[in-house]
Amino acid sequence: GDSWGMLACLCTVLWQLPAVPALNRTGDPGPGPSIQKTYDLTRYLEHQLRSLAGTYLNYLGPPFNEPDFNPPRLGVETLPKATVNLEVWRSLNDKLRLTQNYEAYSHLLCYLRGLNRQAATAELRRSLAHFCTSLQGLLGSIAGVMAALGYPLPQPLPGTEPTWAPGPAHSDFLQKMDDFWLLKELQTWLWRSAKDFNRLKKKMQPPATAVTLHLEARGF
Amino acid sequence: MFTLQTWIVQALFIFLTTESIGELIVPCAHIHPESSVVQLGSNFTAVCVLKEKCMNDYHVTANEIFWKTGRVTVPYEQYAVINRTASSVTFPNITLINALLTCNIRMFGQINRSVYGIRIISGLPPEKPKNLSCIVNEGKKMMCQWDPGRETHLETNYTLKSEWATEKFDDCKAKRDTPTSCTVDYPPVYFVNIEVWVEAENALGKVASDHINFDPIDKVKLNPPHILSVNSSKELSSILKLTWTDSRFKSFITLKYDIQYRTKDASTWNQVPPEDTSSTRSSFTVQDLKPFTEYVFRIRCMKEDGKGYWSDWSEEASGITYEDRPSKAPSFWYKIEPSHAHGTRSVQLKWKTLPPFEANGKILDYEVTLTKWKSHSQNYTVKDTKLTVNLTNDRYVATLTARNLVGKSDASVLTIPAWDFQATHPVTNLKAFPKDNVLWVEWTAPDESVNRYILEWCVLSDKLPCIPEWQQEDGTVHRTYLRGNLVEKKCYLITVTPVYDDGPGSPEHIKAYLKQAAPSKGPTVRTKKVGKNEAVLEWDHLPIDAQNGFIRNYTIFYRTVIGNEIAVNVDSSHTEYTLSSLTSDTLYMVRMAAYTDEGGKDGPEFTFTTPKFAQGEIEAIVVPVCLAFLLTTLLGVLFCFNKRDLIKKHIWPNVPDPSKSHIAQWSPHTPPRHFNSKDQMYPDGNFTDVSVVEIEANDKKPFPDDLKSLDLFKKEKVNTEGHSSGIGGSSCMSSSRPSISSSDENESAQNTSSTVQYSTVVHSGYRHQVPSVQVFSRSESTQPLLDSEERPEDLQLVDNVDGSDGILPRQRYFKQNCSQHETSPDISHFERSQQVSSVNEEDFVRLKQQQISDHISQPYGSGKMKMFQEVPAVDAFGPGIEGQVERFETVGMEAAVDEGMPKSYLPQTVRRGGYMPQ
Repeated sequence: GDSWGMLACLCTVLWQLPAVPALNRTGDPGPGPSIQKTYDLTRYLEHQLRSLAGTYLNYLGPPFNEPDFNPPRLGVETLPKATVNLEVWRSLNDKLRLTQNYEAYSHLLCYLRGLNRQAATAELRRSLAHFCTSLQGLLGSIAGVMAALGYPLPQPLPGTEPTWAPGPAHSDFLQKMDDFWLLKELQTWLWRSAKDFNRLKKKMQPPATAVTLHLEARGF
Repeated sequence: MFTLQTWIVQALFIFLTTESIGELIVPCAHIHPESSVVQLGSNFTAVCVLKEKCMNDYHVTANEIFWKTGRVTVPYEQYAVINRTASSVTFPNITLINALLTCNIRMFGQINRSVYGIRIISGLPPEKPKNLSCIVNEGKKMMCQWDPGRETHLETNYTLKSEWATEKFDDCKAKRDTPTSCTVDYPPVYFVNIEVWVEAENALGKVASDHINFDPIDKVKLNPPHILSVNSSKELSSILKLTWTDSRFKSFITLKYDIQYRTKDASTWNQVPPEDTSSTRSSFTVQDLKPFTEYVFRIRCMKEDGKGYWSDWSEEASGITYEDRPSKAPSFWYKIEPSHAHGTRSVQLKWKTLPPFEANGKILDYEVTLTKWKSHSQNYTVKDTKLTVNLTNDRYVATLTARNLVGKSDASVLTIPAWDFQATHPVTNLKAFPKDNVLWVEWTAPDESVNRYILEWCVLSDKLPCIPEWQQEDGTVHRTYLRGNLVEKKCYLITVTPVYDDGPGSPEHIKAYLKQAAPSKGPTVRTKKVGKNEAVLEWDHLPIDAQNGFIRNYTIFYRTVIGNEIAVNVDSSHTEYTLSSLTSDTLYMVRMAAYTDEGGKDGPEFTFTTPKFAQGEIEAIVVPVCLAFLLTTLLGVLFCFNKRDLIKKHIWPNVPDPSKSHIAQWSPHTPPRHFNSKDQMYPDGNFTDVSVVEIEANDKKPFPDDLKSLDLFKKEKVNTEGHSSGIGGSSCMSSSRPSISSSDENESAQNTSSTVQYSTVVHSGYRHQVPSVQVFSRSESTQPLLDSEERPEDLQLVDNVDGSDGILPRQRYFKQNCSQHETSPDISHFERSQQVSSVNEEDFVRLKQQQISDHISQPYGSGKMKMFQEVPAVDAFGPGIEGQVERFETVGMEAAVDEGMPKSYLPQTVRRGGYMPQ
């Protein structure tokens, strides 16, 4: 009921009070730094992916390593799509955005690990493993932000991981195509995440917004 | 290792004990605990339990157990027998130990046997690691280090643990040789916080450090930037633009920079203000640099928020700023060289190259302008730093500018005065002194306003000419140092010339050393004069090349061979010194040292000997002695001369004149007193005028005393003889024959004088030799000579007699000597015979040893002929073979001794018969 809702709201506010910088500057700095860090991490991963993708596409060979190679998106429907209508993106709230990010990276990480298993050279495997670790870090970072903002973590989608299996149906070319799209989709998601977290960061920067955020969160 | 050792030992014991009882594997006893690591300072107890079988076999119980650590038996106080089979040992407060503890039994009361052993190791549990810190070098994996705390003495493992909130990372086990650090296996994931701690574990415990949580990006140490270029600007000579490439991190973190620069030769760095480089960038323009100067740059970077570490410095890169016009006019001076042409001067203008910081670029050339008073100017463009021009004797003004790519310097102006210009206003109180390894020059400015000063200096040397170096100082400067490569131990002649508007002032000079040293050689001392008690030493000043400093004083060391050395200090201006109070006739060794402020140097040693006598001392002794002797002699002679009467009285006492005796007067038979001198042989008054020659033929014994006196006498008379001998012919008359002469003059003289002097002619020949020269003795008789004109006739007579007789050597002798006179025709034989007879008569008288007065007077009266005839007889009495001389010499002695008569007279040979013995 309303009374329970009011009580919960009050409790939440009271619980969050120490987090308000105006009240306690020396305590938990709130989600701000972690959002900034997550943003920086997306930038860093972007940077990291650029060199990894270059290496990997060269490994795949032409035409995948050609700059203007832009194949149609075939057979990779299971990959989370980062591209979204601007209006739709704007309409998303923070929780939804964070949840989508989290879910997308969870999937992508899963696919990437598969990619790593197939990689031919040790150097490439090392790079992919490192990137996986970093992506794992990003996931943790998003989870941290969500936790800081009080959002529950989305439940892992059952069957997501097992679905990615290099089936014999795939031809070698199609397999490479999948790899290509995986890297491309990763890149797109990192761009999008950077935007998301930049937006969130800007939103979080004024200290007073902490309370507002929670009120908004309550409302959500 | 220890474990292995322990097992070997145990195996050995087991083998030993089991073998002895014929069984395998089963040990005789065991210790609890099996092996032990004991904490330092704690108590430790071990229990040895014997097996029943052993106890039975060896008949031992726990009482027979004793413990050993190594080879040392543990004291029994530490044992405790628990029961029949077990015995324990306790070590209280255990120290640092790593030893074998053995359980032993004593079998049959005397055989000791080890039955089991364990190793005890003591140590400490690990301390909680402190100061855990991590660093991520760009491109490398994370490395963490910590402070492990105290030494555990045990094998301790350190494990670095790291985890994310959602994930654990692999442990990082520190290596044995680096137990204080570990580098993780995984690449860092930036922007995700990581939790790191370290766990330390050993046999005594396990402890973890505090956990640290950080983002690896905050622990990163970036790679240093790489400087791409250092570019100068043509527009601004004071800037350089630095460009570099950064770490890849600049795309996702903000960087800040640290830029340092210095000139190429400098050692300290200048810092670009940090606030100017606090954000990510790839270039920077450094300002306020000097023109045409090479600068060296370096750069480093780190995360902008200051978290993490500064990168290493980049490699250095250098660049040169662009040129600017020379900032200062060159130093400018001149030298007038002697010129042959009349009315002109050869002037060498000279200048210094500008130092780089004033040249501001590469000097292309110099422009010299010479302006004669109220006349056109001449321009010269010179690449060198000197210009020689011929000028008239007028006043000139010279200007000099240096030119580089950008522009010209200000002009140096120098007035070359007319040839008859009198320089004035020198600087005063000119001083030069070394300090901090350079030679400082200090002066007091003249009252006039000085444009600048010119300092010139050169090395003073005997070998090399003075080649001056020079430098210019501003008119406000009163102290500077010589900017040249000065050398120690060289004498520098420094000249300071003030320069006024109308020309140079009078120069002032001073000598100085950069650093003095002891002279390289000592002065060579020598004697100038050596006296009995003093010596004048002299030396030359040291050559300037050997001085090595200002000679402050000399020291003269002198000593005898045995004596102590004496040192005398002498002022350096002297070149001569007199050593006094020396000992005569002594060898002295003298050397000399010259001293500068820094020390002295001995010269070679010089030896000299003082003479025994001073100069003139011998003369001073000898001359007075000689003079004294001479004076004494003279006085003696004078005395003798004055007192000759007295002496005569002593030597030749007066013989009374018989003619004046009373008897003579009294006797009625006294012959008439006056004879005609020519006709009367023996005039009355001349009775005593008789020379008596006593010839002693028999007795040859000489009487030295009388002989001597005779010789002396002879000598004295020698000189006068010749003079008194009258004409040459008359000398022949001085025969040994005594002669009696009488004359009127004799008679008259007889009256006036009571004494009669005589003259003796001695024919001196030695032994059988015939004297070649007649020796005459002559008295200073006052008695008038007998009439000598007639005497040659007497000789003539003798000659004749000789010739007639032909037997008398004496006569022959006379004949020889007088042969030249034999021909004298004008002398009557008669007179001659008269004289000879008188002599002979006298001889006769003497031989008969009769009283002279009595006997001689008689023959006179009796007759001359008789006496004359007796002459040969007289001669016959003589030995004849003996030399005449001897006979004559002995004559006087015979008279004195044989007759016992006083020295009333000496026998005389009468010369010419004109003298009479007395």
